[in-house]
Amino acid sequence: MMIWLRKNLFRSVGDSLVTVIAGSLSLYVLFRIVRFVAVTGRWQVVETNLALLVNGAWPTDEIGRLSATIVLLGFLGGVASAVAGLVTSDVDSEPPTLFQKALDLAIRLWPLALIVGLVLLLSTTTGPLLLTVGVVGAVTVGRLLGGLLPGRVRPVVIVVALFGALASIWFMSFGHSWDDWGGILVNFFLAAISISLCFPIGVILALGRRSEFPILRMLSTVFIELFRGVPLIALLLMAKNTLGFFVPQEFTPGAAVRAIVVFVLFTSAYVAEIVRGGLQSVPKGQIEAARANGLTPIPTTFRIVLPQALRNVIPALVGQFISLFKDTTLAGVALGFLDLLEGGQAITQQAEFRGQGLVIETLAFVGLLFWAGSYTMSRESQRLESKLGVGSR
Amino acid sequence: MNELTNQQPVPSDARVFNDATQLATNVEPMIELRGVYKRYGSFEALKNIDVTVGKQEVVVVIGPSGSGKSTLIRCINRLEVHDEGTIVVDGIELSDDVKKILQVRRNTNMVFQSFNLYPHLTVLDNITLSPRLVRKQSRKVAEAKAMELLERVKIPDQALKYPGQLSGGQQQRVAIARSLAMEPNVILFDEPTSALDPEMISEVLEVMTDLARSGMTMIVVTHEMGFARQVADRVVFMDSGEIVEVGDPEHFFTTPDEPRAQAFLSQIL
Repeated sequence: MMIWLRKNLFRSVGDSLVTVIAGSLSLYVLFRIVRFVAVTGRWQVVETNLALLVNGAWPTDEIGRLSATIVLLGFLGGVASAVAGLVTSDVDSEPPTLFQKALDLAIRLWPLALIVGLVLLLSTTTGPLLLTVGVVGAVTVGRLLGGLLPGRVRPVVIVVALFGALASIWFMSFGHSWDDWGGILVNFFLAAISISLCFPIGVILALGRRSEFPILRMLSTVFIELFRGVPLIALLLMAKNTLGFFVPQEFTPGAAVRAIVVFVLFTSAYVAEIVRGGLQSVPKGQIEAARANGLTPIPTTFRIVLPQALRNVIPALVGQFISLFKDTTLAGVALGFLDLLEGGQAITQQAEFRGQGLVIETLAFVGLLFWAGSYTMSRESQRLESKLGVGSR
Repeated sequence: MNELTNQQPVPSDARVFNDATQLATNVEPMIELRGVYKRYGSFEALKNIDVTVGKQEVVVVIGPSGSGKSTLIRCINRLEVHDEGTIVVDGIELSDDVKKILQVRRNTNMVFQSFNLYPHLTVLDNITLSPRLVRKQSRKVAEAKAMELLERVKIPDQALKYPGQLSGGQQQRVAIARSLAMEPNVILFDEPTSALDPEMISEVLEVMTDLARSGMTMIVVTHEMGFARQVADRVVFMDSGEIVEVGDPEHFFTTPDEPRAQAFLSQIL
């Protein structure tokens, strides 16, 4: 310990000086943070407005539909993750013990667990607790059932799970129009729907840009360069303000659809460029081997080139998705959703008390929620990467 | 390996060539190249190539680097497009006709210098992918056949591993098994041992020797002169895009006719 300190922090006079100054500064900042969290912060504002931050103004009598959807999504997610795990499971390693599994889960999901714990702690009703138990149960059951499915059906299962998820979100909109959704829920759903749509579209655009057909190549290039070159907020504002000029009133879609369309257009352009980079990283010999082995171009692309290309770009791809998740707050700004950020702002501007001016507390909570989501995505992507890395050179 | 020097797949009395690039009259041709040219801009990679390879024949192509050896065999399965002349493989003439190209690629197969195994698939999947997708075999049939082939290349215990977990020699043997799984009539070898550590070369050459003995038609681009001498029915010597000399290996390695071949052999032997 002492040796480590000497070697790393106090090697010379200059080193020691830097250590002391930087150390005391960080201790001071840490002290202020702890004091704010534990003593001076008026967290009542979050406690009082918790429901607003989590699900906006979702009507109380439709809360059952919301909960059912979330549990169903948990179940589908469980099935999908178990089936995806079949693809990548390492043949050599022994199955982990229950304790190892629990530890692994704790390390992987502690930010989410922290948020859920916090919400449960702050909430005054039993609803959230029941929902949490329901979701955890659904994910577990989903994983167990998914594990029983034979490996052959996995592409079908994953597609069915994806469409099931989209359908259940649609089903949810019967209870409460999309446009009035709010809180973290709207950020989560906007991001989830946009990600699941922009990924396949981005892949198609990337393939189009490398296609042998000039028209396809040109269209893809124009699309990508057009949507990549415009700020996202400008696209969102255009979706809000200028769509009416081109489309008759009765056909104009609601704000949620507009937001999703803009996110998909914008992000798929970025995804396309990321995937194109991945396609270029696959050695030419792979394509030659596939050709020499009698494969036609389509199986060569989908069985040989794309899997390797996508594996190579997982970090960049997930970075883009995290960015999209956070950018959903712009939909709140531009299209008037009471999403997590806008809702948080609104709380602090209420005329009667209940949180007037408590901007720091609210923003800190909002930030924590986004951080937990983003960090989990980032960690899971690293895990996926190393799992898929089993077969890499 | 010494007994291999006596191997004679074609009766020796039949091997009377007027022109060594042509076949003895009683051998059916598998691959015929007539007046083939390949150009990159103004550079001529192949110049007026004329050669015929018979069924079950093993032809070894040697020559200095950049002499067009690889280009030559890559033209045979259309990984390169020749600019002039005709190439007929197993009765099918190569042209822009995609169907014919596919047919040729299904009848032939290639083993590469850098193996080019699919790194994201297991050894078993590497071998069964084309039989399943192209030959429409069921997974069960394809896997049984793949295991048989892995036995043949002596690594059945590696079936569930990924290429990255194997040594270079093992990877190249998997690549040979992958080629065999398509039941080709011809296998083209593009410097199959050049990327291998010395101690792994012999295990690959052994598999190739077995293959030659089983009657597979093979064209092998290689720098392994021992292999050429022992296994080849004919040796083709290339230099700057031309076929300089074609001959029976014993004759070629002991008393080559052409000065360029003499110079090349004196450098490497």
